[in-house]
Amino acid sequence: MFRKILIANRGEIALRIICACKELGIKTVAVYSEADRYSLHVRFADEAICIGPPPASESYLNIPHIISAAEVTGADAVHPGYGFLAESASFAEVCETSGISFIGPRPEIIRLMGEKDRARAEMARLGVPVLPGSDGVLRTVEEARAVARQVGYPVMIKAAAGGGGRGMRVVMKDSELPALLGTAQTEARQVFGTPDVYIEKYLPRPRHIEFQILGDLHGQVAHLGERECSVQRRHQKLVEESPSPAVTEEVRQELGNKVVEAMRAIGYSNAGTIEFLLDEEAGRFYFIEMNTRVQVEHPVTEMVTGLDIVKKQILLAAGERLDSLVTPGLRLRGHALECRIVAEDPDTFRPSAGRITAFHMPGGTGVRVDSAVYAEAVIPPYYDSLIAKLITHGKNREEALARMARSLEMFVVEGISTSIPILRRILADPDFQAGHYDTHFMERFTRQQVTV
Amino acid sequence: MPVKRKGSEAGKSAPEVSSNDLGLPLDQVRTLIDLLEERGLEEFELERAGLRIRIKRRGAPGAPPPVFESYISASPNSTPSAATARSPEAAAGAGVELPPGLEDAHLIKSPIVGTFYASSRPDAPPLVRLGDLVEVGQVLCIIEAMKLMNEIEADAAGEIVRIYVENGQAVEYGEPLFAILPGKKQ
Repeated sequence: MFRKILIANRGEIALRIICACKELGIKTVAVYSEADRYSLHVRFADEAICIGPPPASESYLNIPHIISAAEVTGADAVHPGYGFLAESASFAEVCETSGISFIGPRPEIIRLMGEKDRARAEMARLGVPVLPGSDGVLRTVEEARAVARQVGYPVMIKAAAGGGGRGMRVVMKDSELPALLGTAQTEARQVFGTPDVYIEKYLPRPRHIEFQILGDLHGQVAHLGERECSVQRRHQKLVEESPSPAVTEEVRQELGNKVVEAMRAIGYSNAGTIEFLLDEEAGRFYFIEMNTRVQVEHPVTEMVTGLDIVKKQILLAAGERLDSLVTPGLRLRGHALECRIVAEDPDTFRPSAGRITAFHMPGGTGVRVDSAVYAEAVIPPYYDSLIAKLITHGKNREEALARMARSLEMFVVEGISTSIPILRRILADPDFQAGHYDTHFMERFTRQQVTV
Repeated sequence: MPVKRKGSEAGKSAPEVSSNDLGLPLDQVRTLIDLLEERGLEEFELERAGLRIRIKRRGAPGAPPPVFESYISASPNSTPSAATARSPEAAAGAGVELPPGLEDAHLIKSPIVGTFYASSRPDAPPLVRLGDLVEVGQVLCIIEAMKLMNEIEADAAGEIVRIYVENGQAVEYGEPLFAILPGKKQ
């Protein structure tokens, strides 16, 4: 077992990892930038090392400083959390060559899953359903038309080098294809420097469903059920839940087993999440990507499985066997929800940095708050705007929803703007309450808010 | 009389004066304001019987974001076992006191995280000693990081008036290593 773990992160996830280490009797080293001197992860770690100035590129992303901090403190493992270096294959490699255990999968697996087209091809090869589309880059209208007809309209044209919604075009019917292909290629060239585009099936109203998996260093893999994260705005998740209102026990086991088989085949170890889009009408799931780290929304899975995922990550990285940590045939118990409370203006959605003047967290049965802020804390403008995760658990969805609604009402943050008001409105929405929602929920929701 | 040094980056706007004692001579207030400007202080507070004066500099428009600080005290949890365990207050130059009478001294801070060595080889004498006169570019110490020996050079000329760390000690980013009093070099 590890004696001392360095936490290469900040904020609530750094504190979350410190909690797990304390419970396991492992010493902790916090690293921090000059902007985080008074943060709770620095206060509660056994040791703390300043690794650089506020910009993340010079501190939380500074691999030499972090490795050096691990060396001078004698840490034998590094937990990367999420974001920052969590999915950096080269960081995992440097840890390995420095004789420090990286708490996550092996570097080559991180690299494989980080390259989206390679990951998609690999998953397809292993029998995991992927979105049907072209196998490579499309140049001519004829090529594109052949693929689109085979996949079936509507289809999406995407820039091969793309991301963030640029260079994307939805084609509803055959006659629209030539013009839209031209536009997408032009835009791809302008934005990404290459006109390469490909075609994928377009799902008009998909749900975002992801499976949590755990693997050990001995070839064993298990899944811990799914989470639904369809309430998103600009690809930022706002509310997550487990189980998904759209997944039955049969589907959970069937898809879960497929995922476990694929992960076993690639030799996956530690925690990971496999994301799918669900076409609810057709009842079909399509792989989109894999995250090779702990997720922000891992607590909802913890609540319904009773497992501490961060502790399991540490034990698995230390070489413990999965069958000694997770009981086979695990069933989800009750229902859990998570709301992300971010420091942002509720109207403009701009980050709202500054000093928190008053802070009150809700509590009581079935309520959990993962946060690293406090009254008088200052939210620096340099990092992401997540200030707290509010998680509720109930015997069923109805109870979890009622707990969430009253907890949001009792959550007080003054001095900065937060997403609490918008979260309260989402919780009051009849469609959300009924579990009828998809990834376009927020677009419809914000439109409705304007007209009200 | 608490004096808070909150960094000097904030803009050069006019200080805001508030006093509950109207009997305070204006020229004394001016002197205080000048002192505030001169030392790059943002806030000054003085309290004694029947008088409280607080001078605060307002950030100029378009000035850098306010310097972030808060009031959680030093980590009481930290076990000062390893050489590296220290309270965050003392860390990285926060609130480091320059030697009395040497407020004009220049601090050499560690640009990296690593292990401090006073000499270039284990059996060699220290590169610099207290009272030595150093030049710009002179190597003052070695910091080992990731098996690499990094030479730390002086970026000011003058006399070494304080050495903050000991041979073999772990240092973090921004930690004071030396204080140099400029202008003594012939």
